[in-house]
Amino acid sequence: MKNYNENISLTSRITQIRQKIINKKKKVSNLRLDMPVSYWIKEDRLLSKRGKEFMIILRTKGCSWALGDSGGCSMCGYIGDSNINYVESNNIINQFDYAMDKKRDEIAAAEEDFVLKIFNSGSFFDDEEITEEVRTHIYEEIEMNNRIKEVVVESRVEYLEEDKLKAMRNTLKDKYIEIAIGLETVDDYFRNNYINKGLLFDDFLKAVELCKKLNLGIRVYLLFKPPFLNEQAAIDDCINSVNKLIDLKVDTISINPINIQKGSYLEYLWYQNRYRPPWFYSLIKALKKIFINKKDEIPVRIISDPSGAGTKRGIHNCLKRECNENMLSLLRSFVLTQKIEELVKEVPECECYLQYKLKKFYL
Amino acid sequence: MNLFFDLKSKKVGYSRIGKVYLSSKVRKYFSTPNIVIPMTNTLIGNINFLEYFENHEIFLITKEIFLKIGFLQDKFRNTSFMYSHNGTLERYEEILHINEQIFSQDNICSIIPFNIPTSSIDKDFAEKEIKNYIQNINQILERYPNNNFGITIKIFDYSELIRLYFPLITKYRNIRILNFADLFDTFKNYRAILKVINEVKQELNNNLVLMASGRIIPKFYPFLIYLGIDLIDSSYMMYISAENYYDAIEDLLPIYKLKELPCPCVACSGRLNELLQEKYSQQKIMLLVLHNLISAKNYMNKIKQYLNTEDYRAFLEKTTHDDPLLYSSLKTLDKEYFKTLRLETPLSMESTLIKCIGPISYNRPDFKEFRKRITTTFTPEPWTKLIIILPCSAKKPYSESKSHKLFYKVIRKFPEFPDFQEIILTSPLGAIPRQLENIYPVNSYDIPVTGEWDYEEVQISAKMLIKLLKKYNEKIPIICHLKDGGYSSIIDVAVKELKHQFYFSKTDNDLTSSYSLKSLEETLITVKDQFIPEGDSITNTSLTNTWLRKLIKIADYQYGVDSGIKLFTEGITTRKNRTGTKFEIFKANSNDFIGIFDFRKGQIELSLNGANLLFPFDDNGNTIIFDGDTITGSNLFRPGIIDYSSNIKPNSNVFILDKSKQHIIAIGNSVIGSNDIRNTKKGLVAEIYEKL
Repeated sequence: MKNYNENISLTSRITQIRQKIINKKKKVSNLRLDMPVSYWIKEDRLLSKRGKEFMIILRTKGCSWALGDSGGCSMCGYIGDSNINYVESNNIINQFDYAMDKKRDEIAAAEEDFVLKIFNSGSFFDDEEITEEVRTHIYEEIEMNNRIKEVVVESRVEYLEEDKLKAMRNTLKDKYIEIAIGLETVDDYFRNNYINKGLLFDDFLKAVELCKKLNLGIRVYLLFKPPFLNEQAAIDDCINSVNKLIDLKVDTISINPINIQKGSYLEYLWYQNRYRPPWFYSLIKALKKIFINKKDEIPVRIISDPSGAGTKRGIHNCLKRECNENMLSLLRSFVLTQKIEELVKEVPECECYLQYKLKKFYL
Repeated sequence: MNLFFDLKSKKVGYSRIGKVYLSSKVRKYFSTPNIVIPMTNTLIGNINFLEYFENHEIFLITKEIFLKIGFLQDKFRNTSFMYSHNGTLERYEEILHINEQIFSQDNICSIIPFNIPTSSIDKDFAEKEIKNYIQNINQILERYPNNNFGITIKIFDYSELIRLYFPLITKYRNIRILNFADLFDTFKNYRAILKVINEVKQELNNNLVLMASGRIIPKFYPFLIYLGIDLIDSSYMMYISAENYYDAIEDLLPIYKLKELPCPCVACSGRLNELLQEKYSQQKIMLLVLHNLISAKNYMNKIKQYLNTEDYRAFLEKTTHDDPLLYSSLKTLDKEYFKTLRLETPLSMESTLIKCIGPISYNRPDFKEFRKRITTTFTPEPWTKLIIILPCSAKKPYSESKSHKLFYKVIRKFPEFPDFQEIILTSPLGAIPRQLENIYPVNSYDIPVTGEWDYEEVQISAKMLIKLLKKYNEKIPIICHLKDGGYSSIIDVAVKELKHQFYFSKTDNDLTSSYSLKSLEETLITVKDQFIPEGDSITNTSLTNTWLRKLIKIADYQYGVDSGIKLFTEGITTRKNRTGTKFEIFKANSNDFIGIFDFRKGQIELSLNGANLLFPFDDNGNTIIFDGDTITGSNLFRPGIIDYSSNIKPNSNVFILDKSKQHIIAIGNSVIGSNDIRNTKKGLVAEIYEKL
């Protein structure tokens, strides 16, 4: 087992919580195993224009990292969506087909192009979750649909093997493929000691090299305000990570503000008031700071679609709907247009801005 | 390394007054203890803030922009700044690097932040994080050896972990400030707080400036100062203002509770009154921020005043009633840390009234030291044949009170009265031999008197009385001229333990009534010849003079047993100064100047002549060995000292010997105690008033 600078205090707590979730898991009926966890279509930013995303969340066995000895990432509760027990290939194929069938007409009728995102709350290339058989079926289905221009799949770097990637590249001939990696932050210490990701930056670099070699795009997930950081540190970390990734010339950076997920270790900290999800003000501040002085166009695609935004568990300013909606619309228009001017637009000021400024040191 | 912290004076407990020089070139400084006011964009934009804090000496800035805009050079040229960053250490290093030139300027000191992690999982985690932090900041300290730094210390509630920082602090001389960021967040862990402070004070250089930041509200300020904290960061006041709390010193009150504002500051006398009921008003919150910062600063000013000129300990005791945790902390500190505190607390103070109100005063470190010293240094006069126990009086010293003057009228009817040893019982100082009625704190304390004594008071006095009386031959009779109540409880305890014979004068309610005085006289007549002491009768010696008897015992108290005899055995003549606050002491028949007795301090200060009479000193003497033969100037600094006694207290008479230890080359008053002398490499140790 590689030494990721493992933090035993943290991993033991995470595994404790994880075990509870796993033990509570009810058996899912076979009928449900043929349906995906979720699927939807909504507005999104394609590489160089506006478009639509088609998201399919598959129900697999679950992330091997979370099911393993270390307990998984400290902020993740997705194991709750997974089956824990092995899911047969034909089930997963059925899940995928189900979603595709349901949305086929809508996709065909739409004006915009699509990006297809296939997430399994784990790793797409982990054979324990998704076998090569399933993957091949998925590629073939996608290849047949000419409205889908971009494809995104997620994986931990240990499963990014050259032959698996080649298979994908060779089947999806003209599609733009992005491999999404949960780097969370460029700082090894934060990533392995606070997030418990089990990933070294050097290994990430190797994965990036491999993808570039095979003409695959790289999408990096950054976590905004990891556990044990305060607001300013979150801003600093985000700026540092984005700048470093821009230098590495990755294709997309997806900034994911923390959302307190049920069954995660972070939820335990949050219940004890030892963690507060980030403020919108911090995220906007970080983005402004990164891009405000860049004269050329933003060299990388930045997207951010926070879950739970405006609620206590997600990124929020105060709990007033209007304030958070204003912030979200600022963020959304920035993502859709990729223009920094969208972020500096005037929004009606909320009283909570003063609260933020006065309390920031202690959040 | 340039001077950073200059200790001016040690006060009671760990508290101290000093000056911090951020600049090595200009003699510009700010005084400690002090409050650090945050300077942020929000505050700077408020004109009232600027007006009120215009002349404040020390601010904390956390935004890089303040470093850039030539800000420090213009309006605030004469102010001192601390800079810290709220985010990652990495970003802080970048800022440090980019603004390298600014940080090497006069008026700014940066504090290395320790913001991550925000909390700890368990002790192993905390230990790991601290070690990681220490490793990271090693590089910063190495890279900028000529900059002054503060480091942030977090212990995550595990007091043992403080020791992890010690090697780093002792290694790098550019660490000047220790910023305790989470130690005082909750006083529930007061034992951990006391433990950490004690270890820091015992082991680290006492020229390090101690700063407290984090979740601290003004009612805790006095106690923090007592613990030796020099700077308190008031940034938390911004947070509590945002939470709608109003600082009324003794408590934080939610603003909605207030109908009338108990403060005349610019915010409270302005719009704040009208906005009290506005729930979401931003203006109200800004005014609240202003009030809370002003309130904190005012409280700090008050603390400084008391520290400088009044009895700070009594003030502190009063403030401990603002929170049960404060009371527990002080009580525990008195009880468990006396061993360290006795070397930190001055032996005497210039007499301001020392108020002792309530049980929290009984175990003040200066009182405990006093009681201990009397019982160890007081030796019976060999000609004593009778002991008289009297009550204390409101007026101090006792012999100037009406009651004691009346007692004297009776006692001095007898020509052999110097053979009588008078002991005065008092709470909370215990049992005071008459000869010591002019020393600190006997000369200046005051307590509430109701006739009732609590159990602890009785025990304190009884124990001390018993210790004193055990020094006397069992056959010496003891007369008690005391009222009922507390006093008799003490005697009851004493009687059980001692073999002496106790006699009681008959008293009615008033000890000075003719009935009571007559009874005292009669008892004296009956009892005084019961015991005949060995040795010469007193009339053969010249030591009967009251002041001589006093000075002998005072000298014993200050310099050790038998010092008095060495100094004054040949008799003295005295000469008061014009204002009557001191008198000079000369050897009788030779006019050799021995020293002075200062009424306000309640101490003897010897001259070189006098000091030579005590030479050679034993191990407990207050001696300092100087690396040389003569001292230039009137100050003795640490680098010149090669050795020193282990029990020197601040503000006590010290004797400075030359390298050979054969000659006393100077005499002065110590500024710091032995513990601090051990832990420091620089700074003022003693102020000399006479030298060869």
